[in-house]
Amino acid sequence: MTFDHISRRQVLTGLAALGTLPLLSSRLSAAESFSGRSLVSSGFGGSTMDIIHKAVFDPFDKATGAKSTQVPMQSAAALARLKSEAGNPQIDMFQFSGGQEDAAKKEGLTQPLTSVAQLNAIPAEMKDPDGHWVTWAVIGEGIVYRKDKIKEPPRSYKDFLKPEYKGHVAFPAITNGYGMDFLVMLARAFGGGEVNIEPGFEAMRKLKGETIFKAASDLPSLFGQGDIWIMPYDTGNAFKVQSSGLPVAFATPEEGSPAVNITAVVAKGAKNADVANAAIDYMLRPEAQIEIARHMRWTASNPNTKLPDDLASEVPNVAQLAKLDRAIINEKRPEWTERWNREIAR
Amino acid sequence: MTATGDLARQKGRSGPSPAVVPVLIFAPCLIVYLVLFVWPQLSLLTTSAFDKGQLSGVHYVRFLGDEYYWELLGRTLLLGVCVTLITLVLGVPVAYVLARMQSRMAALLLILTTFPLLVSAVVRSFGWMVLFFRDGIVSNTLQALGLVDHPLQLMYTLTGVIIALAQVLLPLMVLTLHGVFKSIDPDLEFAAMSLGASPPLALCLVTLRLARSGIVAGSLLVFSLAISAFATPGLVGGARANVMATAIYEQTIEMLDWPFASTLATVLLVFVLALSLLYGAALDRRAKSESVA
Repeated sequence: MTFDHISRRQVLTGLAALGTLPLLSSRLSAAESFSGRSLVSSGFGGSTMDIIHKAVFDPFDKATGAKSTQVPMQSAAALARLKSEAGNPQIDMFQFSGGQEDAAKKEGLTQPLTSVAQLNAIPAEMKDPDGHWVTWAVIGEGIVYRKDKIKEPPRSYKDFLKPEYKGHVAFPAITNGYGMDFLVMLARAFGGGEVNIEPGFEAMRKLKGETIFKAASDLPSLFGQGDIWIMPYDTGNAFKVQSSGLPVAFATPEEGSPAVNITAVVAKGAKNADVANAAIDYMLRPEAQIEIARHMRWTASNPNTKLPDDLASEVPNVAQLAKLDRAIINEKRPEWTERWNREIAR
Repeated sequence: MTATGDLARQKGRSGPSPAVVPVLIFAPCLIVYLVLFVWPQLSLLTTSAFDKGQLSGVHYVRFLGDEYYWELLGRTLLLGVCVTLITLVLGVPVAYVLARMQSRMAALLLILTTFPLLVSAVVRSFGWMVLFFRDGIVSNTLQALGLVDHPLQLMYTLTGVIIALAQVLLPLMVLTLHGVFKSIDPDLEFAAMSLGASPPLALCLVTLRLARSGIVAGSLLVFSLAISAFATPGLVGGARANVMATAIYEQTIEMLDWPFASTLATVLLVFVLALSLLYGAALDRRAKSESVA
């Protein structure tokens, strides 16, 4: 107990001290040479992992001489791996997209970040108060629509109920995380929210006849077939569909963009903890965050990041994100899913 | 058996005594079966029968008392029956022709029939998805032929799942039936025809009746695979064509409600077992009454 308290205070003091010397410490970490050292991180697999590697790890390796590799695994599997190798981790750094960082910290599998100068710039709600994890990117959700069918960019979650879109709406099932967020945002748009979900269900019942899909892999087909004009999804997937040549755009709703946080932690006992810390610091730098925004359309978690105009219009700003109460949502998940299965999917 | 005997004699009876041999032969299979099937089934059963560490029927009450889950079970069984019927109707003629074919092409055609089995069900389901979307080939063709007057969406429907799954499971039906037809002497048909039966009548009275055991085996195989299929209903059916297998996945992975997932699995198992036994018993009884007559 006492030990926890002290270590926490030490960390905070340490962070404060770092804050006074941001320039100096950033220069120091840049000069740090990790030649001959390696860094193993978990990654998200597929093209996402490749893009992150090119945007962040390659330049980091170049600057420091380290050799970084990402091992593909889903967030839940990554947490399981971290747990099974507790005390002797083979992977130094973990990336999560499903909120696993909290559980990892609670089970004592992570260690506080050290000498991550950029940590100071990150808003308080995007990092652990004890410095165990930090959000290094955010996937903003919102409205994805066909530019050729819908001239005026949609503005609100209420637009899904517009009569002229009837028969042209698609939305993800509640078991897809975005489907759950869609329900909550509909509730918010119509005067409810996490604690009063009723307006959400009421609005969604009006969308009962529309197309319900389960996975992001259906997106290109849905938009490609021409009669789906509008759906709630994220910037990253909107960009992928756009890159495949379809006239699709992303709009940030006025209710705010629900978001998925991409976090990074350093495994407790990691052999290359110093390299991992330096990599996380690198990931939080505006120049790296711009690259992620350019190639993934993910929102920068560092508010000092100034996106070029062409990007800024397509990626929600960190201030435009809606903060959902994940604790309530997780608690209500079984109940809402049961209800959704009966009232919406039936 | 003679081979084992020869071997034992050659070795000068230094091996185990003949009585032990069957036990030894079955032992590896038995151990694997106990460890990988009986044990997990038992733990599945116990998981479903406990609530907060106490023996309880609360999960079964939840299933039985909710018409949503009865609907789910009904939809799953309907899927199994439809897929079995389709594969039977399509598979019997193909298997029959392949078995009776004299040309060298027969072997090649049989290999072609089984070819889809080499492709994963996930890949084949993705193929169907491309065809089933509203502006897919199926919808466009039916519209061009004037059979439907508006774009037809088979994606995310039970009908779509039935069609895709029938294609996925058809080779298994054909293979099972092929072996049975092959073992029926064509002379029996000729005998029936020489006694005045028309060819179709001879086919029905002799061949199909003799092939009954194969039809039962093929149907049970296809039925049990259809109701437990996960990839095809998950990909083609989506949220609106939920079946037991996808519901079990949802309870296990999304809701982390393992006791209820175990309950769903147990209920499905009991229904399949009961249906298989009834089906087998009914055909058995018919066979017996016919042989008496």
